[in-house]
Parts: sequence; structure tokens; C-alpha cells
Amino acid sequence: MLRAKEILLAVVAVVAVTGLYLGVVVAVGVPEARGFLGHSLGVLGFVLMLMTETLYSLRKRALRRPWGTMRSWLQFHIFTGIVGAYLVFLHAGWVFHGLAGVLTLMTAVVVTSGFVGRYIYTAVPRTADGIVLEVGEVQARLAAAQSEMRRLKAGPVAGSVALSSAEMREALRRLGELERQLAAMRWARRLLATWHTIHIPLGMVLFVTAFVHAGAAMYYATLLR
Amino acid sequence: MNRPLGCLTGSALIAAILASLTILAAAAASGNAIFSPGELSTGSGEMAVSGVESHSDLGRECAACHPSFWSGERMGDRCVACHGNLAEEIRQGNGLHGGYATTANCRDCHTEHRGREAALTRADMRGFPHERTGYLLWAHPLSGSGGSFLCVDCHPASLQIFEVDSCQGCHLQLDAQYAIQHRADFGPGCVTCHDGVDSYGRDFDHGARGFLLTGGHAELECVFCHSGATTIEALRAAPTECRSCHAADDLHEGRLGESCGDCHTPEGWGDATLDHRVTRFSLSGQHLRVECEACHIDRQWAGIGMSCRACHSQDDRHQDQFAVDCADCHTADGWGDITFSHARSSFPLEGSHASAACADCHPGGRYAETPSTCVGCHAGQDRHHGQFGTDCGACHRTTRWGDWTFDHDLSAFPLTGAHRGASCQSCHSGGRFDGTPSSCASCHNEPASHGSAFGSNCGACHSTSGWRPATFNGPHPFPMSHGGAGGDCSTCHPGSLVEYTCYGCHDRGKMEDKHKEITSNLGSCATCHPGGKEDGD
Repeated sequence: MLRAKEILLAVVAVVAVTGLYLGVVVAVGVPEARGFLGHSLGVLGFVLMLMTETLYSLRKRALRRPWGTMRSWLQFHIFTGIVGAYLVFLHAGWVFHGLAGVLTLMTAVVVTSGFVGRYIYTAVPRTADGIVLEVGEVQARLAAAQSEMRRLKAGPVAGSVALSSAEMREALRRLGELERQLAAMRWARRLLATWHTIHIPLGMVLFVTAFVHAGAAMYYATLLR
Repeated sequence: MNRPLGCLTGSALIAAILASLTILAAAAASGNAIFSPGELSTGSGEMAVSGVESHSDLGRECAACHPSFWSGERMGDRCVACHGNLAEEIRQGNGLHGGYATTANCRDCHTEHRGREAALTRADMRGFPHERTGYLLWAHPLSGSGGSFLCVDCHPASLQIFEVDSCQGCHLQLDAQYAIQHRADFGPGCVTCHDGVDSYGRDFDHGARGFLLTGGHAELECVFCHSGATTIEALRAAPTECRSCHAADDLHEGRLGESCGDCHTPEGWGDATLDHRVTRFSLSGQHLRVECEACHIDRQWAGIGMSCRACHSQDDRHQDQFAVDCADCHTADGWGDITFSHARSSFPLEGSHASAACADCHPGGRYAETPSTCVGCHAGQDRHHGQFGTDCGACHRTTRWGDWTFDHDLSAFPLTGAHRGASCQSCHSGGRFDGTPSSCASCHNEPASHGSAFGSNCGACHSTSGWRPATFNGPHPFPMSHGGAGGDCSTCHPGSLVEYTCYGCHDRGKMEDKHKEITSNLGSCATCHPGGKEDGD
């Protein structure tokens, strides 16, 4: 499995959006926030950010009827958090004024917080379901991994199938990850809890501001025509 | 196991509440300015409005432009509330906004909150209906419409301001000599005459204004016809009558009126194509083929007589014999095409006259004073040798000489009775008619029975019905009623009227027996009986 696949996908999406955006810039200039394209960017970014804020949290709470793995939802959370924030940034049209400017800043803060949290999160070992593993379980997995490494280094044995280079690299990566997780587990868990305490309220502030901004925009730009 | 509460953590809810309160406080403190998407423009107009020189002076008075939605006002209403001049343009339908802008569409062209230095007009002027300003951009297409003009080319200071110098700047470069002369001719107010379509240049359709420029007209400078015109009205008031410009060119000196176009075209004076039909003298026949100058000698166009003689006096082979016009007999197709009708003359041709050669009556081409009497032509043909005078027509008709109808009753000797049945020769022997005696004796010799007792006056006793019966009323030496004769002469005159006998009734034997004593003159009874009686009466 490709490491940080969601980051790569997000980068691809950002590059694609940037290409389209530059095309528009060259053709007609920087799209204003109040224009059709600017509004479209804002609405789409807002929806992605709203999905970022809600879907992952809902999945975490949906223990009785889970749908999809926690890791997949986290990857989606990260993807929409990056792409949505980028769209919001483009929506601003390089103008940062008033509440809208604050909102852009808040978006940047929350995304930055998310990046930090993402790396704290990866420091905490978890199952495919994302459940935090106990130290003992990690140690057992580490021992199994080390045994596997020794077996691989000894070369093919009778009855076994030689591992490919890709399988070798994955096994080594997993081993290193587990060793790092074990070493950082204690402080990481404390740091992750602290980060949650900051990141989630920041997200709430972001969305309160976003709703007010959208309401004000609709009021002044639509209702008062 | 640690089960995060998601976004609805206590700290998150507290943060949301605090954020809301903060925003409310900021909005209240800033007069909702926190919702402003950008700074207001510092651009100022020509004059301050209610002490406000630019929108930035409004500061945080959002309501100055953003009325409450329950107020019933729109933002456009707030625009014209301050910009009264624009409201007036909209109301009057003129200027930049007239006929185009309303209070509902200000934001289609104008914007705000784009920064202190940003322009307030963001309209794509390519779509601006410039013709509503009274000036079309057909000759000055904008760059966005395939042309090369920008708004600022003509409106360098403001879209609402147009300086005529903007025209001069380009047009002096295009053709300085023309531009200077044009300005000298018509003045500096370009848009006074030009509306963008009426460029009065190469593409100007002068014909659409009711006067198509062709021929020589197309080569003229405008000022030639529009001298002194400096307004559209004055240009359009230029006279269109030929004479208004060409009075001095009239070689006809006014003799042909003022409608030059009836004959001439703008291609040139020499290409006159008069439709002679519009004149009082329509051309036909040979007249169509002669040169104009043949009739209009010395280019004298008016006052040409319309009688044939006016032109053809020298052509008259009849040597002025006829007082009538040539056209009474000839057509324009040629002198030989004669339409003369003798019937319309004083001598209609009938009978043999109709088939006679003209020269029979008109020898030597002499028509005038041709005699109309019979004898004028037929004197040599009179078999009567003048016995009947000169009026042949009294007896003869024009069919032929033999077709005559002499009426003897009209003569001095009307024919009655047996005279009617008599042949002409019986009275007019030898074709002699004139001098025929009208007395009875000239034709009728007195019979022997008359002796010489009755003279030559036959009519005293006879009528033309016949010699018998005759009537005799005396004097008679013996009573004509004697013996019941009753006027029957033959009773007493059985042989001759100059002799008588009584023995027709009186038996001679008896009379001789009775008159035995008379020995002589026994046959002359009346000698002794003059009254017819026995006793001697």
C-alpha cells in the first residue's frame, strides 16, 4: 500500500485545480469571489470542508454500524481538507478583507493544524480499523516483523516463495514504522489528545465563521439586489 | 477505549459559541463592516454629493448603499438617491444612462468593494448599446467587437464625458488636410452632424437620405451642396431641386423649366434623354430619327412651334396651296404616308370620282382652287353642248354618264299624259334639247278634219292624255245640244269637223221629199235652220 496516498491524491487534485484556475486567469483574469466561478469555488470548497468536518467525526461515532475503515475515512478527511481549503483559498481571489479574510485565515490555521495532527496520528499505532493498539500488542507485532525480516534475509527456503523487492520494501517500512510507533507511543498519545482539544474547536470556529460569511454574502449580494 | 466525540465536543461547542459572540460583537462594533468584501473606492466625481466626495467617505455607513430588505428599496434606489444627475438621465432617456440603465440594473455595470483605487465601472463596454447615446460605433468598432477602438480612445477622461478633441486627435492623423478643411467648412462640433452611422464618408449611404449620389454628384465635396450647414437639420435642409444648385448651369436659360432631371442625369449634362412624350409634341415616325438640333435650331428648346409648317415650310411641295396643317394629310412616318381623306374635304369623292387618279382633277399637282363644279372638269365631255347649262349633277350622277335621272317635271314643260310615254327623240330629235318648242303645234300638226277652224291651240280642246276625247265649248254656230247630240261631235260631224251633215238623224229622202221646193243648196240645212228648228230659227 502506497504510503500517504491521500496526500498524493490531494496534490494531484490541487495541481489539476491550479491548472484550470491559471487557465481562467490567463483567459479572463483572476476570478473574483463574487463572480460565478468565484462563488462556485467557494461553495465547492465549503462543501468539501463541511464533509471534512463532519463525515470523519460521524464515522468515528458510528461504532454500531460502521461503514468503511477508519483509515479510509481519515484519508478522505485529509483529502477533502486539503482540496476544500485550497478551493476556499482560490475563492478568496487574493483578497483578504473583513470577516472573509478572517475566514480564509481560519481555514489556513485549521488545515495547518490538520497537517500537524496527521503526523501525530501516524505516530500512534492502530489496526486497520484505526483502533489504538496496546503496547503489548505492538511489541508482539514487532517481534513477528523482526522474525519475518530474518527469514527474508536468510533467503528462500524449501517450500517457500521468494518475496519480491516490493514486498521486501513494504516489510521493512512496516517494521520501521512499528519500531518508531512503539518508541513514540506514550508521548504521541498524549500529544494527540492535546491536538484534538485544539483542532476540533478550531474547526468549529471555522464553520461558525463560514456560515456567518455565507449568510452575510447572501444577504448583501442577493437579498438586497 | 478512547472514543472521541467528534466535532461536538464540549470545547468545540464552547468555541462555536465564543466565535458567534465575537462575530456579533465585531459586527456591532464595525457597523457590519466586517462583512465588507473589500474597501470602498476613493475615486471622486466632478462634485461632491451631500458632502461625500467618494464612496470611501461613507466609511461604515453600509445602509447608505445597502438598505434593509424590508425597506422596500433596492440598492439602485440608493444609487440615484445620491446621484441625482443619473436619475435625471434615466428619466429623460438621454446621456450615457438614458434608455439603458434603471435602478434595477446599476450593478450590471458598476461595482464596489474592489479596493480604494479600483474602478467602479466593471461593465463590459463591448455590450454597451452605444447607439442609445445617439452615436453608433459602426465606424468605430470596439476592440472586443473585432475593431481596434477602446472606450478611452474617445473618452479619455470619463465615459460620461466626450470631448470633440478626441475626434480631431485621430482624424488629423488620418487626413490632416481634409480634417482641417472639414472643420473649417462645418465647424468643430463633429457629433452635431455625425452619429456614427452618418459618417458622410465612403460608406455613408447618401441614398438612404433620399438623394442618391451618382455620376457627378458622387464626386462632389459635401460643402458644395451643404454650404454653411453645421447641423444635422441644416444638412438635411439642403435643397434637392436641381435648380437650387444648377441655376447657373442652365443653358436653356430657364426656357425648359426647372426640372433638369426630366432630361438630364447626374452622369453629365450631355447625356440628356428627354422623353418627348412628356412634352406637348410627342415624337413618332421620322421625328424619332432626326437630330434634336434639326428642330431645335441653335439649341432653341422652348418656343418651337408645334405646327408642321414651323419646320417643314421648305418641304411643302404644294407650294402653300393648303391652308391646313400638313398633319391633316401626312403622318410623321414620311411624306408618302398620306392619310388625306377626300371625304373630309368640301368635295367628297363618290362613284367614279373615287377611283379617278388625283391628277385627273388636280393636274400639275394643283390642289388649291380646284373647281368643284361639274363643268370645271367635264366641260369638254358635255354632249349636250351646253344645252343644259353647267350643272351636270342635275341629271347625271357620279357613277357614270349614262346613269342620269332627268326630271322633266322640273323643266318648263312637265310631261303629263301621253307625253310621258313618248320617247325623248320624238320631241328632241337629233339630240336637240335646248330650244325645244313647248307649243302643241310645234310637234302636232292640225289634222285635216280640223280644217283650219281650230287654230294651233290644241290644248283648247285636247289634253295630253289623248286626242280623244276632246272638249269643245264653242263658239259653235249651231246649238251643240241639238237633237240630243250631247256634245258628241261625230253626230253631226262624222267625217270632218269643218263639215256637217244632218242626215245622220234626219233621213235624207224624207228631207228631200219635204223640201222638194228647194232645188239648190239642199245640203246646207243650217242656212235655213240656223237654230236647228223647222221654222227657220
